[in-house]
Amino acid sequence: MESTKPAQKALKGGRMSNETLISLFMIGVLVVVFLIACLFVPNFYKPQNIVNILTNNWYIVILGIGVSFLLVTGNFDMSVGGVIALTGVLSVYFCQATNASRNVLGNGLGLPYGVAIALALLGAVTVGGLNAFFIAKLKVPSIIVTLGTMMLARGVGQVITQGAQRNTSLPKVFGIIGNAAIPGTSLKISVLIMIVLLIFAFFIERKTVFGRRTYQIGANQEAARLSGIKVARHLTMLYIFSALLAGITGILLASEYKAGLSGRAMGYEFDALVVALLGGVSIAGGFGSVLGMFVGAILLSVMTTAATGLLLSPDWQFTLKAVVTFVAILAQRWALDRRSRG
Amino acid sequence: MELTGNVLEIRNLVKEFPSVRAVNDVSFDIKRNTVHCLVGENGAGKSTLIKILTGAYQRTSGRILLNGEEYVASSTKEAKDRGISTLFQELNVVDQLTVEENLTLGMEDTRFGFLLKTDKVNKIISVMNSLEPSIRPNQLVSDLSVAKKQIVEIAKAVATEADIIIMDEPTAALSEGEIARLFTIIKGLRERNVTVIYISHRLDEIFELGDYVTVMRDGGHVATMPVAEIKDRSDLIKMMIGKTVFEQYSPREQDCEDVILQVRHVSNHKLQDISFDLPRGEIAGFYGLVGAGKTELARAIYGADSYTGDIIFKGKKLASSPDRVIEAGIALVPEERRSQGLFTLLTIRGNIPVMNMKKIARGGLVDGAKERAVTLEYIDKLKIATSSIEKEAAQLSGGNQQKVVLSKCLFADADLLMLDEPTRGIDVGAKSEIYSIIRQLAAAGKSILIFSSELPEVVNICDSIYLLYDGAMVERIRNGCDIDSEMMMHAVSGVSVDQATANGKVAAVTGGE
Repeated sequence: MESTKPAQKALKGGRMSNETLISLFMIGVLVVVFLIACLFVPNFYKPQNIVNILTNNWYIVILGIGVSFLLVTGNFDMSVGGVIALTGVLSVYFCQATNASRNVLGNGLGLPYGVAIALALLGAVTVGGLNAFFIAKLKVPSIIVTLGTMMLARGVGQVITQGAQRNTSLPKVFGIIGNAAIPGTSLKISVLIMIVLLIFAFFIERKTVFGRRTYQIGANQEAARLSGIKVARHLTMLYIFSALLAGITGILLASEYKAGLSGRAMGYEFDALVVALLGGVSIAGGFGSVLGMFVGAILLSVMTTAATGLLLSPDWQFTLKAVVTFVAILAQRWALDRRSRG
Repeated sequence: MELTGNVLEIRNLVKEFPSVRAVNDVSFDIKRNTVHCLVGENGAGKSTLIKILTGAYQRTSGRILLNGEEYVASSTKEAKDRGISTLFQELNVVDQLTVEENLTLGMEDTRFGFLLKTDKVNKIISVMNSLEPSIRPNQLVSDLSVAKKQIVEIAKAVATEADIIIMDEPTAALSEGEIARLFTIIKGLRERNVTVIYISHRLDEIFELGDYVTVMRDGGHVATMPVAEIKDRSDLIKMMIGKTVFEQYSPREQDCEDVILQVRHVSNHKLQDISFDLPRGEIAGFYGLVGAGKTELARAIYGADSYTGDIIFKGKKLASSPDRVIEAGIALVPEERRSQGLFTLLTIRGNIPVMNMKKIARGGLVDGAKERAVTLEYIDKLKIATSSIEKEAAQLSGGNQQKVVLSKCLFADADLLMLDEPTRGIDVGAKSEIYSIIRQLAAAGKSILIFSSELPEVVNICDSIYLLYDGAMVERIRNGCDIDSEMMMHAVSGVSVDQATANGKVAAVTGGE
């Protein structure tokens, strides 16, 4: 047996966690990609452009928080796009004036905006609760359940809007939250909400018992159960949290466009998944971080902005996303493999 | 091909693992068209030997001759091609396919991508028909019983002209009628020019079925002889356990009035009416073979599996969910450390405090300094060999992983600690460290339940020993220097205790009450 004394010293020094390594690695990739873009794209380095890059994906980042937490537990949430559409439509419908128009789509329930928001969020929570019931209680695979609730949420939205959209007879207050700027800046309130949520999520992930348990469930659900973790309750909370984030996003987007339409946020669930994967969150669970997800979102934003700046046709956007995703994930695999060998 | 002589000759076979010689210079022959039984306690080296034959492991040194020719297999498929098929405990059938599709899986003949029905297929089906006419080829395998699935597997091996079929505990999940049917088939395999290597813990089966038996102990070869030459079952048991030198352990006296755990008439899919009392501070061991119900009993007490009956802990009925059982003051070191005990993806720091987060957190916030201190404390206390508390559990050795799982349960600060196969697959050094920790805990007033299929383990550390067979409690024994290990082997092999005591010398067991 070797002496444990010098070992103790090294133990206390600790070493960087794999999550931190991947986050730093992706920040490195981001810096390199940014510098290359600055060389080739005119005005790319300008502060206003940088601010845009950091903020114009705010809705994907908010969705990415809930999706990342669930991915870390080993579960998908593909319902977030549908929830955005549903809550957007509900927030409009609940506060549209009654008997204001001969057009059915011009009449709503005439509730105060605050009540409309609360009820719309309740709608989101219901979808999250449904997800949780099927996944945590009945143990149906999450990908199936959340694809189902995605269609359900969008479907209810479609019924309420009759396949079109609702954008009339809205109170003045409706358009404020999604369009107003933070006093003294040009940034929207939505961006502020994103920042607050990011800090909150980072804190939960790193500092709380809840955060630790999220990783433990993802690393080994059976061991988590046998260690006394209430797995079903934990997943229920996360699905409701994720649906709430999507609900908030839905309300902000409906306010920004002063309209509720059931086709809103098509494919956002995939974007949220992509930024999480770009940020190093493992699809198998047990690994990943909100910080990494945010870096992933920025990286995607840099790529798409640069592509637009280079006058690349928008038709190429999807292909570009695909290439970036593959390259980033292969690079992460490479970094982690090198580390476990080293 | 000659029909007599040896189908398999094993010469000086050695398999070394980093910490142990699992197969140590083993040599013996297997005669053609016989049923050759392989017996030995857990850890005797049977499974390792079989895994070398099936290509799952590669030998360190030694030779194997199959039909007189050098035999090396690097995969199950290669072993099969050379003529050695295996009936695993976990059957290799695909439930969603029909019997016919399963039989021909991996050897389909196709033309333009379409399956052809060839002579090969017809042959397999006719073999299966002769073995068990009641199985229809177009039936879904998921509709078959375990016994019939085994027959499907045997038919496949026979039809592909296997020389040897290895059967590893094939009767573990069968009813008596099914066992009889399987035995008839096995006995008939001789005429089909097939040699069977049969592994079982149930000694009755060896006497009924076997032509020859090979006994292994501690990785070595003890004897190979015709079954007919064994006069007494206890001779076989003696060869299996040898002159095990048990560490002298004098059981400590407990106050039998001060009962911490009462188990009353607990039954479920596996357990049959189990009742016992555990005095506070006692180390009790449950000894039984694979499939005896040890794990099921541990899981029932822990609330991980459902059951009927009552389990009363410190005077209160236990709830049937692990989180509430842990809260009541019970912790379990599960049987499978990698799949049930450890978070292999997470760091040591992410593993050790998990069962008692309250102690390192306030208001849901983790105190990082306390978290590190606790992790370091247990690394130190249990001598876990690691370079960092941030090392992933996956990168530790088996013994160190088990120590992490044990640390997790110790930190839970439970009054009753249950350990299911606490030293399976770990080296001797770590083993004795774990034993000394268990003794220290008991000395500090904790109660311990150990579930083990290793006889020396329960004899070395337990105050009292319960024998399990087929989900039922056979006997309670007070441990002591006059413990009769032969009687215990008899009891857990399904021989009634009376018969066992009559068979061996009169057992000096008193029951302990």
